[in-house]
Amino acid sequence: MISISDFSFKYDGAEKNVLNNINMTIEDGDFLGIIGHSGAGKSTLTYAINAIIPHYYKGDFYGAINIDGLDTVDTNLTDISKLVGSVCQDIDSQMVSAVVEDEMLYGLENFDIPKEEIEERICSALNEIGISHLRKRNINSLSGGQKQKVAIASIIALKPKILLLDEPTGELDPQSSRQVFLLLKEMSEKHGITVIVVEQKIMLLCEFAKHLAVIDHGKLIVHDKVEKVLESSEILEQSGINCPRTVTLSNALRKQGIENIPVCKTVDEAEKMVKSLIEKEDSLND
Amino acid sequence: MKGFLDYVDKDSILHRLNPLIKIFFSICICIAAFISDNYFFLLGLIAVDLIIGLMGKVFDRALSLLKGLVKISIFFFILQILFVRTGNVIFALPLGINITEDGVLLALKIVLRLISATMPLALLVSVTQMSDLSNVMVKSLGIPYKYAFTFTTAIRFIPVFSNEMSGIMEAQTARGVEFDTKNIFKKIGLVLPLCMPLLISSVKKINSGAIAAEVRGFNLRTRNSGYKSYRFAFRDFIGILISAALIAGSILI
Amino acid sequence: MIEFKNVSFSYDSKAKEHTIKDVSFKIEKGEFVSVIGSNGAGKSTVSKLINGLLKPSSGDVIISGTNIKTVPASRLSKEVGFLFQNPDRQICCDTIKKELSFGLKLAGISEEETEARVMEVIRDFGFEPDTNPFLISRGERQRVALASLIALRPEIIILDEPTTGLDYNECTHIMEKVKELNSVGVTVFMVCHDMELVLDYSERILVMSDGKIICDSVPHNAFRNEAAMKSACIIPPQIIELGIRLKNGFESADTTDEMASLIAERRNS
Repeated sequence: MISISDFSFKYDGAEKNVLNNINMTIEDGDFLGIIGHSGAGKSTLTYAINAIIPHYYKGDFYGAINIDGLDTVDTNLTDISKLVGSVCQDIDSQMVSAVVEDEMLYGLENFDIPKEEIEERICSALNEIGISHLRKRNINSLSGGQKQKVAIASIIALKPKILLLDEPTGELDPQSSRQVFLLLKEMSEKHGITVIVVEQKIMLLCEFAKHLAVIDHGKLIVHDKVEKVLESSEILEQSGINCPRTVTLSNALRKQGIENIPVCKTVDEAEKMVKSLIEKEDSLND
Repeated sequence: MKGFLDYVDKDSILHRLNPLIKIFFSICICIAAFISDNYFFLLGLIAVDLIIGLMGKVFDRALSLLKGLVKISIFFFILQILFVRTGNVIFALPLGINITEDGVLLALKIVLRLISATMPLALLVSVTQMSDLSNVMVKSLGIPYKYAFTFTTAIRFIPVFSNEMSGIMEAQTARGVEFDTKNIFKKIGLVLPLCMPLLISSVKKINSGAIAAEVRGFNLRTRNSGYKSYRFAFRDFIGILISAALIAGSILI
Repeated sequence: MIEFKNVSFSYDSKAKEHTIKDVSFKIEKGEFVSVIGSNGAGKSTVSKLINGLLKPSSGDVIISGTNIKTVPASRLSKEVGFLFQNPDRQICCDTIKKELSFGLKLAGISEEETEARVMEVIRDFGFEPDTNPFLISRGERQRVALASLIALRPEIIILDEPTTGLDYNECTHIMEKVKELNSVGVTVFMVCHDMELVLDYSERILVMSDGKIICDSVPHNAFRNEAAMKSACIIPPQIIELGIRLKNGFESADTTDEMASLIAERRNS
C-alpha cells in the first residue's frame, strides 16, 4: 500500500511548490490513472513515489510518503526500487543496453537475483509481454511500441509490487498504446501488481483504470473510482481535461432529466445504455 | 551506414570467441598498424580486417565500413599532401602549393593506418554484445564498472543522438535553414541551429538515462554482478597466437 | 495547390516495396485535410513530400503550380510551414523574440518587416518577448514553434501529430489558431492519430493503408467506410462508432449533441 500524507514539494532553486498538501492512499492491486494539465505536478508525484525525490532531485520536502511501510526519505533509493518499477516518458533514454536480452539482464544482475533464477525470469517476462522473438534484437532497430514493451518486460522481470509509468504512450500510435494498456491491465489483474500511470489519453484511462486522481496546479482535486470522477465532468473540464464523448453523452442525457443513466466510459457501455433506454421506452409504449 | 555499430546476432567462430580475446585481438591489430612502416603490410592488415568480417559473417558490414573509411580518408589525404611539402615536387598548384613525393607517401601511410586500425574496433562491436564487453572489462580486467558503463553507454547513444541530429536538421531545414545546401562551407556555419537543440535534448536524455539506471540498481553493481561467464577455449589461444604474429610481423616486415 | 501525380517513394532505393505507392490527390487552396492510417501507412512520408524534405522516387509533387522535384526544402519554407511533433528540435534562440525572428531573417525578410511581423505575432499569441523558450512548458514551446511558422506567412501549413505531449487545453490553443488561419485561406494538412480531433477540425480525410490512399472523403463518410477503417486499423470517433453499432437511424450522428437529440427523439416517439 502506498500512503501519501500532506506531501508538498519545491525543487531546489524553484520559486514555489510544485505540489501542495497531497493526501492519498493507493491500495494494493489498484490500477490508478493520474491526469492533469501540463505542469500540474504529475511527474513530480511519480518521482516522489519511486523515491527519485528526494534521493536524486533535491528540494524542500514536506510530509511523508510510505511504500509498504517504508518511508521514502529514510529508505535508500535502491530498496524502494526493489518495490517500485518505473517506466519513463522518454522511450530511448530509459534503456541502458543495446540488445533486448541485456536490457532484461541489467536490473536482475544489479539486484543480485540468484543466478539460477535469472534465465527463468527473463523467459517468463518476455513471454508475458509477447516479445520472446525480440530477445537478441538491437533495441534501436525496434519500433516505439516494441521498445516500450521491452521497458515494461525488463521491469516485470524484477517482480516489483508497484509499476509506475509516466506517459508511456506519449509517442505511440493508438494501436500500440492500447496494447501497452492491455498489458498493464493484465499485470494488475493476473499478478496483483499496483499499476500507476500518468497519462493524457483519457480514453485509455477510462477504459482500463479503476481509480483516477486529478492534479490541478499542484493540488489533488479528486481521487476516486473512475465512474465517480467522470460523473462530475465539469471539474475535469475546469482542470483542462477532455472527457471521452461517451461520458459527455451520458452526462448530457442525465441533464435532460432522464434518470438512472450510468456513466459510460467506453463505446461498449454507451451501446448497452442506449439500447436499454430504447427498449425500456419501447416496452413502456407497448 | 545506419547501425554500423549495432551487434549482429549470428553464429560464427568470432561470435563464440571469448570477448577478452576479441578485445586483445582488435588492440593488437591497431598496435600493429601503428608500428608498421610497410605499405604492403598495412594493406595486408586491411585484408585481415576483411577476412575477420567474413569469418564473423558480417562481410557486408566490413565492406561498407571500408567504403566509409575510404571517403573520410580522402579528406585526411588531401589535408596531408597540402601540408607536407618536403621532397621532390610531383605536381605544382597555384599559390605556391606543391604536391610532393613525401607528402603523398606520408598521406598514404596515414590513411592506410587509419583504415586498418579503425576497422577491427568497429567489427568488434558487430560480433560482440556490448554487455559482454562491459562484463569482461569489469570481471577480468578489473576496470571499475562506472567506466565500463560509460564506454558502452557512449556507444549505445551514438545512434540515438544521430537520429536526434537528423530530426533537428530536418526541422530546421523546414523553417529555412539551409542544411540541404551543397556548399560545405555554408553548412559549417549552421552550427547554432544544430547545436542548441542537440545540446538541450542530449542533457535531457542523459538525465533520464541516469534516473533509469539508478532505479534499476546502478549503484549496487559489483565486480561479480555479471550473469554471464566467459570460458576460454582452444580457439581463443589461436586468437592470441595470431595477435602475437601480427605484432611480430609489424616489427619485422 | 497541392497536387500529387502518381507519386511513389521509397526510403531505400534498393527496397522492393515502396513506402508510398502511386499516390495521387489534389488539395485546393484553403482546404483543411487530415490524413489518417496505421503506423507505417505512409502518412508522415506524404507530409514530408509536400514540403520537399523528401523527393519522390517517381511521379510529381506540385505545390502552387511548381514542381518541387528540384527545389530544396529550405527554400520551400516560405510557402509551406511544417509544425513538427517535437518543438524542441527547432528552438535554438534564448528569447522568444529572437526565435520568431530567426526564420524571417533566413528568408531574407527586411529588418523592418521582420520587426513588424514578429511583434504582430507576439501580440496575437500573448507572449512575453524576452521569455526564454527553454524555460517554458512544452505546450508553450509548441505555440512558439507555431508562431515562428506563422510569421513566415506560408500558404500551406502541415501539422505532424499536433497532440503529442500536449494536454487538452494546449492542444485546443494550437488547433484554434490553425483554424483561424484556415478561415483566411491557409491550406492545412494534418497527420493525426486522434480521431476526435480529426472529426472536429477537418473538412476532408485521406485514409492511408500500406502506402496507398484507400479513401478520400468528408469525415462523415470516411469514418463510416467500414472497409477502409478496418484496412487502416482505425477506430472511428466514439459517437460515430456508437451510431454504427446501434444502427436504426442512429448512424447519422457525428457529435454528442446530435446523438443526444436522436436518443431524445426516439424516446418521445
